[in-house]
Amino acid sequence: MKLNLFEDKNLNEEHVDLYFTNMRPVISQIIDTVNSERPTFSGRPADEDLDDWEETILDPGDIYYFDYVDRKLFAYTETGVFRLMNTLGSCEEMLWNYGFVRVSKSNLINIYKIKQLKPDINMKVYAFFDNGERICINRSYKKAFNEYLQKMRRINQ
Amino acid sequence: MKEYFKKLFLGICISYTAVSVTAAVSNAITGMENDNSNTLIMFAFCVIASIVLSLYSLFDNVSPLAMMIIQYIAACFFCGLLLFAISRIDPISPRGWFEYYRSFTIPYIIIAGVFYYILYKEVKEQNRLIHELQESK
Repeated sequence: MKLNLFEDKNLNEEHVDLYFTNMRPVISQIIDTVNSERPTFSGRPADEDLDDWEETILDPGDIYYFDYVDRKLFAYTETGVFRLMNTLGSCEEMLWNYGFVRVSKSNLINIYKIKQLKPDINMKVYAFFDNGERICINRSYKKAFNEYLQKMRRINQ
Repeated sequence: MKEYFKKLFLGICISYTAVSVTAAVSNAITGMENDNSNTLIMFAFCVIASIVLSLYSLFDNVSPLAMMIIQYIAACFFCGLLLFAISRIDPISPRGWFEYYRSFTIPYIIIAGVFYYILYKEVKEQNRLIHELQESK
C-alpha cells in the first residue's frame, strides 16, 4: 500500500483520506486506528515475580494467541505472557478481522503470526508460531478454521 | 440428535451400497454367488461400522491416529461378536475367521491412508492461504 504523508503547518484540521478498492480487514484496521477504536487489551504479567501491579497495553498485532486456563485468560506475546480480564468469546468477537480465529475451546490464535501448520505423526494438526510455540487445531474447529481462511481470502481480494 | 441419526442413516446407506456393489462386481468376475445370509451379514457389518465410526466426536481429545485404532478394534470386536453368534447356528471354518479380518482390515487401512493424504493436502492448502494472507497484509 502506498503511503503519502503531507506536512502543512497552516492546516486547520488534521485529516486522513483513504483510497481503497474494497473494504479489506487492513483498511478497517486503519479506520479503527484513525477513529481511535483499534481494540487494545490491558494485562498484567502472568508471572507473579514480574508483576509490578502495572497494566501493560497490548496491541492485537503483537499477540500470538490467547489461552483460557482455569477460568483465566492469558495473551502470549513476544515479550511475555499477560493475564487479561476479558473473556475468550469477547476477544474472538472483537478481533475476527485482525486475523484471530478460534481453534479449540480454550485457544484463539493470530493467523498473521503463524509460521507453519504441520500435521503430527498422530494426525493432530499444530500451528507453529514465530516464537517456536505450537497450538493444536482441534478437529471440531477444523471446518470453522478453514472457512475463516477462505473468508479472509475473499475479503482480502 | 436428529441430525446425528440422519447422518448415520446416510452413512449406512452409502457404505452398504458400496459393499454390495463391490460384492456384485466381484461375484460377476469370480462366478460366485451370495446367499441371503451373506447379504444380511454384509448389512449388519455396515451398520456396526457406521455406528462405531459415527462416534468419532467422543474421541475429540484423542489424536486421530489413536481414534482410528480404537474404532478399528471396537468395530472388529462387535463384528467378531456378531460372527461368533452366527457361528453358533452355522459353523464358520478357521479360514472364514481369517477372511473376515482380512476383508475388514484391508479397506480400513486404505480408507485410513486416504484420510491421511486428505489431511496433508488440506494442511498444505491452509499453509498456502495463510502465507497468501500474510503477504497481502
